[in-house]
Amino acid sequence: MTPLLEARGIDKSFGPVKVLHDVTFSAYAGEVTALVGDNGAGKSTLVKCIGGIHPIDNGELLFDGRPVQVNGPRDAGELGIEIVYQDLALCDNLDIVQNMFLGRERRRGVVLDEDTMEELAEQTLSSLSVRTVKSIRQLVSSLSGGQRQTVAIAKAVLWDSKVVILDEPTAALGVAQTAQVLELVRRLADNGLAVVLISHNMNDVFAVSDRIAALYLGRMAAQVKTADVTHAQVVELITSGRSGDLGLKNGAVA
Amino acid sequence: MRAGPSQEDIRRHNLGALLRHVHLGGPISRAELTAKMGLNRSTIMALTSDLTAAGLVREELPRETGRAGRPSLVVRPESSRVYVFAFDVGPDRLAAARVGLGGAILDRRETARRRGPFDLDELAGTLAGFARQMRRKTRPDTVCVGAAAAVSGGVRKDDGVIMFGPNLGAESVPFGEELGRRLGLGLPVSVGNDANLAALAEHSRGVAVGVRDLIYLHGDVGIGGGIITGGHLLGGHDGYGGEVGHMVVNPGGQPCGCGSRGCLEAEVGERALLEAAGRVAARGDTRANALSHDGDGAGRQGRDAVRAVVDAADRGDIVAQEALKRVGGWLGLGVANLVNIFNPEMVIFGGMLREVYLGSAAQVRSRLATNAMGPQRERLRLRTSALADDATLVGAAELAFAHVLADPLEVLARVTG
Repeated sequence: MTPLLEARGIDKSFGPVKVLHDVTFSAYAGEVTALVGDNGAGKSTLVKCIGGIHPIDNGELLFDGRPVQVNGPRDAGELGIEIVYQDLALCDNLDIVQNMFLGRERRRGVVLDEDTMEELAEQTLSSLSVRTVKSIRQLVSSLSGGQRQTVAIAKAVLWDSKVVILDEPTAALGVAQTAQVLELVRRLADNGLAVVLISHNMNDVFAVSDRIAALYLGRMAAQVKTADVTHAQVVELITSGRSGDLGLKNGAVA
Repeated sequence: MRAGPSQEDIRRHNLGALLRHVHLGGPISRAELTAKMGLNRSTIMALTSDLTAAGLVREELPRETGRAGRPSLVVRPESSRVYVFAFDVGPDRLAAARVGLGGAILDRRETARRRGPFDLDELAGTLAGFARQMRRKTRPDTVCVGAAAAVSGGVRKDDGVIMFGPNLGAESVPFGEELGRRLGLGLPVSVGNDANLAALAEHSRGVAVGVRDLIYLHGDVGIGGGIITGGHLLGGHDGYGGEVGHMVVNPGGQPCGCGSRGCLEAEVGERALLEAAGRVAARGDTRANALSHDGDGAGRQGRDAVRAVVDAADRGDIVAQEALKRVGGWLGLGVANLVNIFNPEMVIFGGMLREVYLGSAAQVRSRLATNAMGPQRERLRLRTSALADDATLVGAAELAFAHVLADPLEVLARVTG
C-alpha cells in the first residue's frame, strides 16, 4: 500500500539547533497514524514542515507517491492537507458556519451565499454524525470544549481534504467529550481520510490508531503497527528511543 | 420428490427483500432497487405497488437528480404510519420506544429501575403503561405491527422465557407472554438477550454495517455478548449462545453472580472496576456488603459511577488509573481469546464498556498484541458502539420488525384485519 503522505529524510534546523534529523514518516488513507514523542521531540515541527509553515532544509515530501513542493500553508491546503492546531484558531464572535468558511467564503455575485454555506456545513457535520451541536448558527463562544474541537475538525474536513492532522485534540477535555472526539477521529479515517493524531495520552493513542510513529530527540525511533506493540514498548520508544529490536541503534535508525 | 418454491413463495420473498432494503437503507429509487436486487424493472414496479397498496411504503418524485431523463420514483418507508414497540429491561433502566418502519425512534419513555428481585407484575405493568401512553398520542391511521423486548439475561429460544438473569434477579420468568397480555394488542412479544440484539443492531444500522464477522461486548452490571459469524447471530442450541461474560479468564479469581469464579464479568464488570478503584468495598466484607446493598446506590453504582472512575483516572487519580489498568488487562485477555477463536473483523465495545475501553485501550491492546495470534489481529478493528445507549432498543425494534420483513402482506393483513 502506498502511503498517501510520505516524508523522507527530513532535516530541519532553527539556527544552530538541529530539530529534525533525517525523519521519515508515512500516513495512509483510511488509517489513523499516531505521532508520539516526549516534549521537544519534534512532533510539532514535523507537522509544521508538512503543513508548509516551516520550510524544510533537506528531504522530500511525497503525496500519493508523487514528490511535491509545499512552500506555504496554501500549497498544503491545495493538496488536501489540513491541520487542526491545539488552540483551534476559531473566532468566538462568529457562528459555526462563519467559522467553517472563514477566509474562504462562498459568494453569489457580490454577496455571500449563506444558503449554500449553511447547507455544506450541515452536510459535513451530519456526515461525521455530529449530533452534539444544536444549531449551526450558534456562536462559537457558546460551545463547550468538545464541541469547539468538533467544529475545528469539521472545518478541516469541509475542504475535501485528504489528510487531517490533529494536534492534541483531547487535551483539556472531560471524559464524555474525549470519547466523542476520539470516535470522531476514528470516523474520519473510516470515511477514507488519512488522519495523523498527535497525543500524549497512551489510551487515546491505542484506542484509535492503526500505526504509531515515535519520535525521539528529533529522530524517528520507529513506525509500527498498533496491533503489534504493547504499551510498555511504546513508552520505551518515547523515553529512550528503543525497545528490544525496535528503535534506534547507536543513534541511527535500525 | 420435493417441489421447488412456488410462485407465491418467490413473491413473498421478494416483497420482504424489497421492504428490507427500504427499511435498512432508507429512501431509494426504483432504478437503484432494480440494480441492487437483480430483478427486472417491471417486477420491482409490481412489488412496490403491492407494498404501496398495503401502506408499507410510498413513492415520490425525487427533488433533484441533476441528471437528464425522467427521474426514477423514490420508494420511502411509511415511517410515521407503520411502527413497532421496542422495550429494554436492564438492571438499572426500563425503556420503551415506538419505532417506525425505517428505524426512526418516534417516541420514547424511560425510567430508572431499582436493583433487586424481578417483580414481573410491576415491570410488565410499567412497560405496558409506557406503550399505552405512546399509543394514545398516535394518529388513528397508524398501525402497530409488532413488539419485542431486549432483556439482560438468557432467553430460551423456543418460548421467550427469561431462564436466567442474575443481574435482573430473574429466573424462569415468562416475560414475553405476560407483557403481551398486558399490552392487549393481540400481538406476541418477542424476547431476546440484550447484547445479542445490540449486536444485530450495530450490524444492521450501526458501526458494523457491511461487516459479516463481529463480536459485540455489552457492559452493564455484567458483561454480555453477541457473536455474528458469516452474517448470522450465533444463538446456540437453546438460544443462550454468546455469553462471553462467563468465559473464565482468571481461574480462582473473583466470585461471579453465576456461581463460578474469575469470569470475564467478575473481573471486568462494574463491580470489579468499582472495587478496584475503592469506590465500593470488596466482596466478602460483610460490613461493606450491607452498605452497598442498602439500595441508595445513586452515584455509587451504575453508569455514572463507572464514568466517575474513568474521569478520575484521566485527572491523575492513581488508584483509579490502577483500577482501569487491571480491568483493561482482563478485558484484553478476554478479547484475545475471542479473537483467536472467532477471527472477527470487528470487536465493538458497548454500554459502559465504551468508557472502560477508551480509558484502558493501552492495556486492552497490549494484551491483544501479546495473547492474540498475529494473523488474527492483523486486520481486526476495535470500535465503540455507534448506537450507544440506544443499541439494545434498536435491536429490539429490529426483532419486532423481523416477521413483517419475512412476510409483509400477510402480517399487515392480520394486524389491520
